[in-house]
Amino acid sequence: MDCERFDRVVLDLLYDELDELTGAAARRHVDGCARCRNIASGLRATREVGALPSIDPPEGLELRILEAERRIRERLPLRQRVGRAVSVLAGYAMRPQLAMAALLFLVIGSSLVFLRARPGDRESVLVTERGVPELDSDSVTIVPMSPDREAPAAHGAPPLASAETREKSLAAASAAPAEGEDRQSAYESAMVLFRDRRYDEARQQFEAVAQKGGAEAAEAALYAAQSEKNSNGCSAAATLFDQVPSRFQETRAGYEATWQAAACYESLGAPEHARRS
Amino acid sequence: MAVAEGDVTDETLMVLYQRGDRRAFGALVKRHHRPVYNFALRQLRSTESAEEVAQEVFLRVVQNASEFKHEARFSTWLYTIARNLCVDQLRRAAHRRHPSLDQPLGPAEGAHTLGDSVADARPEVSAERALVSTQMLAIVSRAVEALPDEQREVFLLREVANLPFKDIAEVTGVAENTVKSRMRYALDRLRAALSEFEEYARALR
Repeated sequence: MDCERFDRVVLDLLYDELDELTGAAARRHVDGCARCRNIASGLRATREVGALPSIDPPEGLELRILEAERRIRERLPLRQRVGRAVSVLAGYAMRPQLAMAALLFLVIGSSLVFLRARPGDRESVLVTERGVPELDSDSVTIVPMSPDREAPAAHGAPPLASAETREKSLAAASAAPAEGEDRQSAYESAMVLFRDRRYDEARQQFEAVAQKGGAEAAEAALYAAQSEKNSNGCSAAATLFDQVPSRFQETRAGYEATWQAAACYESLGAPEHARRS
Repeated sequence: MAVAEGDVTDETLMVLYQRGDRRAFGALVKRHHRPVYNFALRQLRSTESAEEVAQEVFLRVVQNASEFKHEARFSTWLYTIARNLCVDQLRRAAHRRHPSLDQPLGPAEGAHTLGDSVADARPEVSAERALVSTQMLAIVSRAVEALPDEQREVFLLREVANLPFKDIAEVTGVAENTVKSRMRYALDRLRAALSEFEEYARALR
């Protein structure tokens, strides 16, 4: 530190406002510079001699200030009082303890919501079950599915519906399609029979639908063959499966029937037929 | 958690007061009313005016408490108010002659002078030292009184209010270097006025 720099910081040195490093540098400079030492000591002596004594304030000044403060608070307009109240509440709201309590309350509250959501508290519950366990069977039969209809997942899988509903459906399906009933309802009636494992009746109705033609014909032919297979086995159904792709070329039911025919021939020990299919 | 009053900063006390804690305001008054009064007294040279200003300073604090920001320094805010009130008082009294150390500080007949108050401040010293102290302190008070307003203001804010130079710059609205320059001139003037007592001051150490 040089004298010029010392002159700039001498007051900070006198009042201890210098940082540690600069203060040490200034003190080192004072030790080695007579000019700056004289300046520093002169200022220090002046400060010591010229220190002003503290004069006691008039008695009761502190109390008068506090009393005036009380009066002012009482006269505060409503707006400022509300502002202060908000400030006080905000001060409490920002406290971490309160934040933790709010979080705990939230966690407990949300838990109660989930507990109340159990089905036991409700009067009735509608359950839709998808899929059922497989029956004991040596072989699994792949049941072709209609695009818009629910098909049984495995051989002999009954549809899930109440007994009452199923009885009504069977009654409707057992009756021959009425005069003028369209092919759609005939196909659905056949499907009800199929799902109820009444395969002979289902096959007859599916064949009738397939004979009439239309959008459901290919699927009906496939289900007719499937009904035959479920009723009398592959030896009887293989030929029926074989006929579907020739009658309904380039259809999904046709491809499915080809696959089923091959599977039947395979199970009958006729791999050549299977390969041809 | 209980915190000793002395450990709590002015700013924390002020925030507590903003939230309605009147004890915090009481602590601030206890801590600052004396230096504020002394600052006003040295500026105005009248106990009546100084008391009036000291009281008004704290009332302004109450009225504007909601405007105080925690990031600001309370003492800077407090002395900005005190300084402005003193400036107003001095302007109003500009047409009147300033009282001196030999004039009564109050309106009552036989009231003490500022010199008496200074002399009473250290009653514990011996008679001889008391005499010298009385003379010296009277000269100090006169020397401070004789300082130009700008230099006296800076000197009092540093010595009485104990504000750092940076805060004094904020209170007075001038650059910190200007504040230091004024302080240096003030000390040089005091040194010239007190030169005969420097040796005595060294002897007292």
